[in-house]
Amino acid sequence: MGRMPRTLIIQLARLGDLLQSLPAIAQLHARQPETQFDLLCPSHLTDVGRLLPGIEKVRPWDGAAWQRRAMDAQQNLRAEHLVEVDTTLMALAPDRYDYAYVLNQHPRALLAASLLAREVKGPFLYGPLSEVLTPWASYIRDVAQRRLGRRVHLADAFCGLCGVSPPGSVVMLDPPTVRLPEDLEPIGKHAAPWIALIVGAGETERFVPTGVWRRLMTLLLSCMPQSRIVLVGTERERAAEIQAPLPSSALGRIWDTTGRTSLSQLAAVLARCHRVVGSDTGPLHLAAALGRPVIGWYFARARVHETGPYGFHHVVWQAEDMMGEIWPVDETIAAMCEQGHHAPVGWSVWTSHCDAWGAYYALAGQSAVPPPEREALWHELETALS
Amino acid sequence: MNYLAQNLEALRKRYPALAENTQENSGGLLTIVPSREGSPSAAHEGRWVHSGYDPRQEAQGWAKAQLREWKASELGVVLGVGLLYHVEALVALKPQGVMLAVVVPNVAELKDAVSTRPMAAWIHRVEWLWGTPAAMAEELAARSEPLRFMTYGPAARLQADAHRDLEAGLRRMVSAKQTGRLHVAVVGPIYGGSLPIAHHTVAALESLGHRVSWLDQSPHRISYETFGVYHEPRHRLTMQSRFADVLSLGVVTHLAEDPPDLVLALAQAPMNLAVLEHLRKKKFLTAMWFVENHRHLTYWQQLAGGYDYWFVIQEGSCFESLKRAGARHVSYLPMAAEPNLHRPIVLTAADQDEYGADVSFVGAGYANRRTVLPRWLSNDWSFKLWGNEWEGAEGFTSVLQRGGDRIDTETCIKVFNATSINLNLHSYAGDGLDPEADFVNPRTFELAACGAFQLVDERSLMPDLFAADELVRFTAVAEVPLLIRAWLDDVPGRRAIAEAARRRVFAQHTYQHRMKELLTTIGVHQPDRIGAIMRGDRNAGALTQRENTPPELAALLRRFPSDQRVELKEVAAQIKTKGADRELAREELLVLMLDSYRVETRDLV
Repeated sequence: MGRMPRTLIIQLARLGDLLQSLPAIAQLHARQPETQFDLLCPSHLTDVGRLLPGIEKVRPWDGAAWQRRAMDAQQNLRAEHLVEVDTTLMALAPDRYDYAYVLNQHPRALLAASLLAREVKGPFLYGPLSEVLTPWASYIRDVAQRRLGRRVHLADAFCGLCGVSPPGSVVMLDPPTVRLPEDLEPIGKHAAPWIALIVGAGETERFVPTGVWRRLMTLLLSCMPQSRIVLVGTERERAAEIQAPLPSSALGRIWDTTGRTSLSQLAAVLARCHRVVGSDTGPLHLAAALGRPVIGWYFARARVHETGPYGFHHVVWQAEDMMGEIWPVDETIAAMCEQGHHAPVGWSVWTSHCDAWGAYYALAGQSAVPPPEREALWHELETALS
Repeated sequence: MNYLAQNLEALRKRYPALAENTQENSGGLLTIVPSREGSPSAAHEGRWVHSGYDPRQEAQGWAKAQLREWKASELGVVLGVGLLYHVEALVALKPQGVMLAVVVPNVAELKDAVSTRPMAAWIHRVEWLWGTPAAMAEELAARSEPLRFMTYGPAARLQADAHRDLEAGLRRMVSAKQTGRLHVAVVGPIYGGSLPIAHHTVAALESLGHRVSWLDQSPHRISYETFGVYHEPRHRLTMQSRFADVLSLGVVTHLAEDPPDLVLALAQAPMNLAVLEHLRKKKFLTAMWFVENHRHLTYWQQLAGGYDYWFVIQEGSCFESLKRAGARHVSYLPMAAEPNLHRPIVLTAADQDEYGADVSFVGAGYANRRTVLPRWLSNDWSFKLWGNEWEGAEGFTSVLQRGGDRIDTETCIKVFNATSINLNLHSYAGDGLDPEADFVNPRTFELAACGAFQLVDERSLMPDLFAADELVRFTAVAEVPLLIRAWLDDVPGRRAIAEAARRRVFAQHTYQHRMKELLTTIGVHQPDRIGAIMRGDRNAGALTQRENTPPELAALLRRFPSDQRVELKEVAAQIKTKGADRELAREELLVLMLDSYRVETRDLV
């Protein structure tokens, strides 16, 4: 009996990218059910990696350790350095994989693939030193660097990169079975709607001003008297600043989890909430993958069509031309109160859909017509591949 | 108990001559005093050489601190003998096979030690260097291993002169053997007297074969001076200080993009303490050549702890003050000349007429010069005064050239060459001669390099730089007219002295010499870093020949000329140039992977 083929999927970018790899992983798994799929991801994301369906083993990539080694080797390259990194790689994956699928365009992801697998399918046509991108990799680069999307969602473009079509449905994560700190256990256990607010962001340019969050919270607590708010993220000081001037009536209705949860615990908290609101795309993608309806405020470099939460019934306000301090606060409250979707000046509002060509967003309040350029791009790039 | 016989017996096996000398020496350098915990301690001239409470515990702490830096491939060299508690502690803690040597400049001290404490168990596990500083330096320079000096301060203090001579001798010998190429970033001032010195420093480093990144701040002078228009001094200083902070950040940006092995700043370089601390965190090595009188310009107080290495043109109180302010390493590095610039020239008759005189002085109108120079004017000789800042100085109208305009370097050199007797009076803010006359100014070296005869005021540091038959010095203002009179008629005598001074400059006092000295000093303290590069240990040939270099890496290294310094980035670049469409060997992939992180390790800005 032959050995089961082993394939390594490499995603060394951030939380959002890892979660947007979910459709590609699911499709690869569906197409190659006899193959064992493992995942190489940054070590701090391994908890999330273990939640991904179809992944057998998660290999942690310790970027900080690599950086230390590089610092040591940069001026005094010795044989020991190469021996050490080789040993580390051998410990990471004692047997080379048959294949590696590389979902990043950073050379180190390609190098890792070349070191850990015999055959590599990645964004460059001719190996890790090549600068010639595959057609799908070229599309992804255009999206990331030039914002030239053609309505193919990044998660579906990852499918294209791996040579598979989009799943046509939403792949969900099971909530992790993880203990929360005792005081956070009650979250989501009453009947009231629990609304998670992601108050931080990976990049400061995606921070929503604390005053805006405060206003949203005040309105929310007032308009939805049974509601509870859960503050999530890592920015504890920011959360404290938001809450400090809130009226005493808010006491007991706000649950601050910021800076206190691991990624698994964050997933567990989000899974218990009825809605998740925020501008930090990583946790938004996590919430969407856990089946939670998401409300996203997309501004700075975030683009709804390519990186909006994947699935159905998500709502995204996209900044088109931000005019001063106008934020979709009232509109978000109205949406949560089932009072329709409206866009303030400088913003547009979109709802998510999904079909055989993957996820797409349509203007809220209009019929969901799939964008034709999306299907056209799939045909064009599949032709290029063949 | 008589430890002496046992200790010497153990020492005699490998060092019979040292054992013999020690036996015959009467000792008595140290005063042996029992410590509180009972073991013998020692003092010298009333100061403790070891702890008066617990010498063993103190030695343990010192030895542990040394082990943090000491690499297994290095020969540890201990400076400071005392009762050798610290050496015993090092022997006990050092890993098996790591070599340790102790410098013994004075056998009397060793006699005291071996007479006082039992050492037979470990004395043979140490190498003993003894004799003159020059002999010990020669012995150390002959070693193939990198040297790691470890100074036990309380005992080293007793032999400070010998240690200094040993280190100087070693630097000379080591620098003669250096083949490695460093990358040095030189940061200059926005303007001022240290700017030309920065230029000379850059030229010298380049001529020594090092790669230099010249971070020239002088183009920013116009902007800097623009802030001088504010009337309120606080406003002016704030704006200029903030501007200097921006320039400081500019330096950091450059360093981030092209990281050097060493950042060498000249006095007045716009580098603030925050930037220096940031650079240290990012493992950049920094040095400052403070070519200023530390008594007049005192900004070093704020920066002392910021630089890894200080080089100064004064000794004594300058060293002590800097160390008190937080400087870790302070070394003496006097001024110098650039012989390609400061040189004898053949003058046209017109030039001779314009620039020549019996006696000349070139320099700015400092207070002491305003009071002293009039006393050196005479009808017996022609006198020309060149330079600026002479406004309001009476009595110079007839001798001041070009209306007191600043003159450029080429003009200075013409004046030096055209003048029979150049006066060189060090600046001082008071009247007369500088009462704290220590450092030697650049003018001394420049005049000497030009082959120009000079009369210079005596400095305490002068005798180490020039002999009496190389420079004519005066110690009182009144001596000068007599000297002028005597030397003006003695053309051959002047020529002989000037030529001797010029030879001395060529032999010892060029900027090349200074940069060699500076780099060797740092190399001696950083044997595994700057020292290794300068020894050529990072050259392709040396790397290839290392015993444990695997064949795959050796194959990569053989692509480089054997005398080319090779680092991770060079190997990575070499791999990349071989073409993208070929299959890479595993070692090549590993190198590229490390390199992909290297570019992020110096993310400074």
